[in-house]
Amino acid sequence: MNEPSTVTPSTVTPSTVTPSTAVPDRAVRHRAGSGRPPWDLSVGAIAVAALFALPGGYVLWRALTGGALHLLVERRALEPLWRTIQLAFLVSASAALTGTALAWLTVRTDLPLRRFWRVVAPLPLVYPSFVGAAAFRSGLTPGGIVHDLVGHLGIDLQFRLQGLVGAWLVLTLFTYPYVYLPVAARLSALPSSLEENARLLGDRPLQVFRRVVLPQASSSIAAGALLVFLYTVSDFGAVHLMRFETLTQTIYRTRLFDQGRSFALALLLLGLALVVVAAERTVARHGARTEALGDRSSLRIPLGRWKAPAIATCSLVVGLALFAPAVSLADWGLFGWFRQRRGLAELRLDWGDVAGATWSTVWVSTVTAVVAIAVVLPVAYLLARHRSRLGGIVNGVVVAGFAIPGLVVAISLIFWTLHASPFEFLIGTMPVLVFAYVVHFGALAVRTAQVAVSSVPRQMNDAARLLGAGRLRRFFTVDLPIMAPGLAAGAGLVMLSTMKELPATLLVSPIGFRTLVVRIWDTYEALYLAEMAILSLVLVAISALLTWFLVVRRADHLA
Amino acid sequence: MKSPSTHTRRLSAGALLVVGLFVGTTALAGCGSDDDKSITIYSGRSESLVGPIFEAFTAETGIAVEARYGSTNDMALTLETEGAKTSADIFLSRSPGPTGYLDDLGMLAGLDDDVLAEVDASNRAANGNWVGFAGRARVLVYNVDEVAEADLPDSIFDLTGPGYEGLVAVPGSNSSFQDWFTVFRLRNGDDAAIAWLDDMVANGSHFYPKNRAIVEAVGRDEVRFGLVNHYYNHQEVVKNGDDQRSANHGFAPGDDGGLMIIATASVLESSDNKNAANRFLAFLLSDAQQRYLTDTVFEYPLAIGVAAADRLPERPADTVGAVDIDDMAAEFKRTIEIIEASGVLDQ
Repeated sequence: MNEPSTVTPSTVTPSTVTPSTAVPDRAVRHRAGSGRPPWDLSVGAIAVAALFALPGGYVLWRALTGGALHLLVERRALEPLWRTIQLAFLVSASAALTGTALAWLTVRTDLPLRRFWRVVAPLPLVYPSFVGAAAFRSGLTPGGIVHDLVGHLGIDLQFRLQGLVGAWLVLTLFTYPYVYLPVAARLSALPSSLEENARLLGDRPLQVFRRVVLPQASSSIAAGALLVFLYTVSDFGAVHLMRFETLTQTIYRTRLFDQGRSFALALLLLGLALVVVAAERTVARHGARTEALGDRSSLRIPLGRWKAPAIATCSLVVGLALFAPAVSLADWGLFGWFRQRRGLAELRLDWGDVAGATWSTVWVSTVTAVVAIAVVLPVAYLLARHRSRLGGIVNGVVVAGFAIPGLVVAISLIFWTLHASPFEFLIGTMPVLVFAYVVHFGALAVRTAQVAVSSVPRQMNDAARLLGAGRLRRFFTVDLPIMAPGLAAGAGLVMLSTMKELPATLLVSPIGFRTLVVRIWDTYEALYLAEMAILSLVLVAISALLTWFLVVRRADHLA
Repeated sequence: MKSPSTHTRRLSAGALLVVGLFVGTTALAGCGSDDDKSITIYSGRSESLVGPIFEAFTAETGIAVEARYGSTNDMALTLETEGAKTSADIFLSRSPGPTGYLDDLGMLAGLDDDVLAEVDASNRAANGNWVGFAGRARVLVYNVDEVAEADLPDSIFDLTGPGYEGLVAVPGSNSSFQDWFTVFRLRNGDDAAIAWLDDMVANGSHFYPKNRAIVEAVGRDEVRFGLVNHYYNHQEVVKNGDDQRSANHGFAPGDDGGLMIIATASVLESSDNKNAANRFLAFLLSDAQQRYLTDTVFEYPLAIGVAAADRLPERPADTVGAVDIDDMAAEFKRTIEIIEASGVLDQ
């Protein structure tokens, strides 16, 4: 009897691929919808949804009892709502465009230094938005590196990054990885034969992109754009510094002294999120879906004379999103270092402390990523394998929760843990912190996991079963290797987001637990900008390493 | 045939086991103590500023300090949410507003008399439930290259005049500004306060979200004047020396523009460590720590008999604490609403 593991994709030869792509009607367009979900999968998914509903449930309860629901139809609620919607749609559109372009260039073309681009492209996600926005704003103002460099050329830069334009630019640059990662994962799991055929039939690269790649990746693009949308509506740091009053800003401003209004607006935010999540699901269900079978390493579309523009595009995006803030930060950091050398104020950094915070950051974000993937897998199986109303509800609950600002998530979990659960003794411990992270960021892994699950060909599972492999063995030897790139992309999103999460870390963590972003915030608040800059650069460097080891390399090896 | 989702079930069981182990091992680390051997502080002041005080306290008394840091409003919100089950013994606040808010909820305990006696009556709560430990003056920061000292205004009401059109930055959403505005409003009445703010808007004042941003902007003459707390400029000067082209100006004594906003300390009613907590408050008001706060952090010491650092401007006559506010939440809610309605946040 053959070992089931021989069916894993690493050993699938191009010839075994041909049948599945040659019979597109049944095999290629296989989708969700095979009957009612088994009861235990339903129970698992409902349990997950119940946990994810905790912050939303708290918001609903506080809003209903807060006596301020009448505000929701007033100008001062509708104006920030309108601004929020404008910003979120603009950012989603531009991030979708940017993320998709980068994913295709780095996965499917002969772009030089592809591995380098694949490591750096997701990294802008790791800038805490208050750091990124501050770096941009300060870089362009007098004393900032861009302003002063331009000043040497005799130009007095009057442009100030702020308002809708400022928030749009900064959020686009720091959120396009939400699209990039899932789309890149999708493309690298896509059989190259479709594109090869299109090329053989005479399509040029851009035509291949439009006619083959785009339809295949559309569900991943929509999923990523949805995450961008939800992140944008929940962001506080960037809009605050850019002076653009969104719903979340108002929620923050009124969070202590006018809680009725704060929670009423949070409910409005949640309602907006649910509508957008439902809309995206409708779109996603109509997208084409091809199973992941094939020799993924062979296809490299030669860019030809498009090579220079392609490099320029990647350089521009990554340059603006990753290196420009880094240069601004390095400028501050070096300033502090020179200041110390000149005998002025010393750098207040204890390197032992930095190392401790770095280690805390690394392990807590890794643990969170793994737990989040495990938790959302039942949801992903339910969504991918069974078309049911339950799936829609669970999806809405889990994904829309991402729109709830981190502060509200933290406060709600403190409430539930202390006042309405048997787990009171867990308050101020790691499990509650990881739980808060998972509830806040699990949404990031849902759609990539769903795409990953649906990319596992049923026939392969059937074959393995006929060959006598048990369920668990099939999961680990068939499903998991095929899903790995998708799951790794989702885990990467969760990990990078956890690394920069501030409110939950401050309010829910065990006392004394310090991650890098806690240190960054502390130095920022205390006006130690040089120290803040150095710590931020450490955060970026660490996330680059983790992205390389856990996402890029893993996706390459397991795929 | 096994059911199609057995692997999911097994996986869930495995995940549960892992999570269970994780919970078990880490929960042990989370046990608190109530024997005055350690105190827990929720601090709205940042670790860089107050961390050294905590360390000095532990070194002197052997009482360990566990500290959670966050913005003052977040800490107050957390304390409200945790209620009597909070592990916090002490709350350090940037200003009396959030402290008074918690006091209105009945969450604060009366402080020991010897702690209260350390400060002037205007720097503590009338009911003895909180005490000020450091002060920040509301000042006008200005660009020294563009403004002659002789031309500086005496009163905050001057800023609505023609000489200041489009030149003043107002941190409308900032909590210190809201503290100040609340007192300003209670003293002069809503009508006068609203009229002043409307005039500022009509005069083209610029909105900045943070004090610090204003000081930076004034330093590079992006805006000429700004209403801020005094110590940001001192910190910028320490870092940048003569390159920092901004300076503080205090309004005339007794003017409504010059107010002291005090950072406050309080003990939670639910605390089991009230003795140690009061001991910490006394330590915070000791000469050595008050000197640290004024020499290093550039704030005004509030303990009686401790002089402010030489470089600080003259101490404002009034403090926020001196105005007794009955319903803190309602007054601040009103303040926020007036500030929003003025349109200053859209400038």
